[in-house]
Amino acid sequence: MLLTDRTFRTLLSREVLRFTRVWMQTILPQILTSLLYLVVFGIALGTRIKEIEGVPYLEYILPGIALMSLITNAQMNSSWSVFDAKRERYIDEVLISPMSNLQIALAYSLGGTLRGVVMGACTLLVGIPFVGINVENPLLLIVIGVFASFAFSSLGTMVGALATRIEHISFLTSIVIQPLTFLGGVFYSVGMLPDGLRLATFFNPIFYTVDAARFATLGISDLNPYPTLGMVFLISVMAFCGAWWAISHGPNLRY
Amino acid sequence: MSGPQNGFPALKIEKLKKTYKNGFRALDGVSLEVGAGKFFGLLGPNGAGKTTLINSVVSLARPDSGTVEVYGKDAFKEFREARRMIGVSPQEINLDKFLTVEEVLIFHAGYYGVPKKKAKDKAAELLERFGLVEKRDHRTNTLSGGMKRRVLFARALMHDPEVLFLDEPTAGVDVELRYKLWGYIRELNRGGMTILLTTHYLEEAEALCEDIALIDGGRISAQGTSAELKERYDARNVEEVYMKVIGDASN
Repeated sequence: MLLTDRTFRTLLSREVLRFTRVWMQTILPQILTSLLYLVVFGIALGTRIKEIEGVPYLEYILPGIALMSLITNAQMNSSWSVFDAKRERYIDEVLISPMSNLQIALAYSLGGTLRGVVMGACTLLVGIPFVGINVENPLLLIVIGVFASFAFSSLGTMVGALATRIEHISFLTSIVIQPLTFLGGVFYSVGMLPDGLRLATFFNPIFYTVDAARFATLGISDLNPYPTLGMVFLISVMAFCGAWWAISHGPNLRY
Repeated sequence: MSGPQNGFPALKIEKLKKTYKNGFRALDGVSLEVGAGKFFGLLGPNGAGKTTLINSVVSLARPDSGTVEVYGKDAFKEFREARRMIGVSPQEINLDKFLTVEEVLIFHAGYYGVPKKKAKDKAAELLERFGLVEKRDHRTNTLSGGMKRRVLFARALMHDPEVLFLDEPTAGVDVELRYKLWGYIRELNRGGMTILLTTHYLEEAEALCEDIALIDGGRISAQGTSAELKERYDARNVEEVYMKVIGDASN
């Protein structure tokens, strides 16, 4: 009922149309950014760090860069979509429709999830010819990608619903997500960090998604992979509960 | 459009109260009944509570207390059924800027569960009816104010609602379009659709509405047919009634 309901499917398809219609803005620049990360960081750091845990450096960072692209796009999509709809009040059309708050939160979050997964996959596909890796466990990678994307898309939905000013959205991207991504073990193994920073990394949700994706792609990870997978799942459930709450109670939605 | 014909009034509101967070009391125990198939006018000054009343019925505003029923369906507990029966043409233009005119209509129908084929046919009919055929592939943010208003009307009708809320629908609309719109709304009403209209144009309300309620300060100050109100307040027209009821209250 929840997922097959035409009302819900319509909002989800609207969300997909939103980012595919302006693909020159939403997809192309993001792929270029990921390529630049790969080339610049791979070349700059690759000359100093030849390999980590027996894996060539470029290969080591590719899953993390794909995850970085996935996370950034997932959260940006839903946060801007909800915030724009709220700012220009066309979200009212959705709020007064027969859809429940749960369905609304899920449609916005799944729209962002899809963009995140598409962007993560594109980054991986574009990067693989440069790096030349075989994905160890593609199915597991898809599952991790979907849950990670859903988690950060839900976070985007939550922030979009709670934001009252445009700066709140920029804050999420620039002050929260970007630093956490850089500190989430994309470019290094946490084993290389001093004790204090290593401990701090365990509080960074992005670290778990990057580590799990690296395990699925390369078969290596900083942590025992199965509790990490559980953590990725837990993060996505918690983030979605936040999104659902925010759509139900966020400011300037229902007065 | 014939309405559910289930013997219930189209809209039954009882003791509805709403105070906003800033302390403004928008609704102060409003009770109102709109009969099935009626053309109902809700008149009052700015800030009287008209839009809050409409928004409360569709849960865009959260009332503090009170009950709302749409053709016997509890608007809060049975919100899916209740909202499916309501179409809203809002006071403020709120069209999805990412979509074309035709997409706005088809997506709206989808939000109400209308199958795509039926939605496409209905969109074609309404695009024709509102003179929007040439604009069907235009993004809504490229339209003029009058065109946007037409899309809002068409959108509200896409899911064949039983009850249509028109919140200040003719604000900023040229005379020609206004007459066309009223002609169409009258036609819909004759077909059985219940219309609840809020407007500042009192002569329009008098010409169109069978029943009229005056709202001020979040309370219903007077209610009845236009003839009853004129007799009760010894007035020649609804404007005089309005001035006697609302004007006296403000003085």
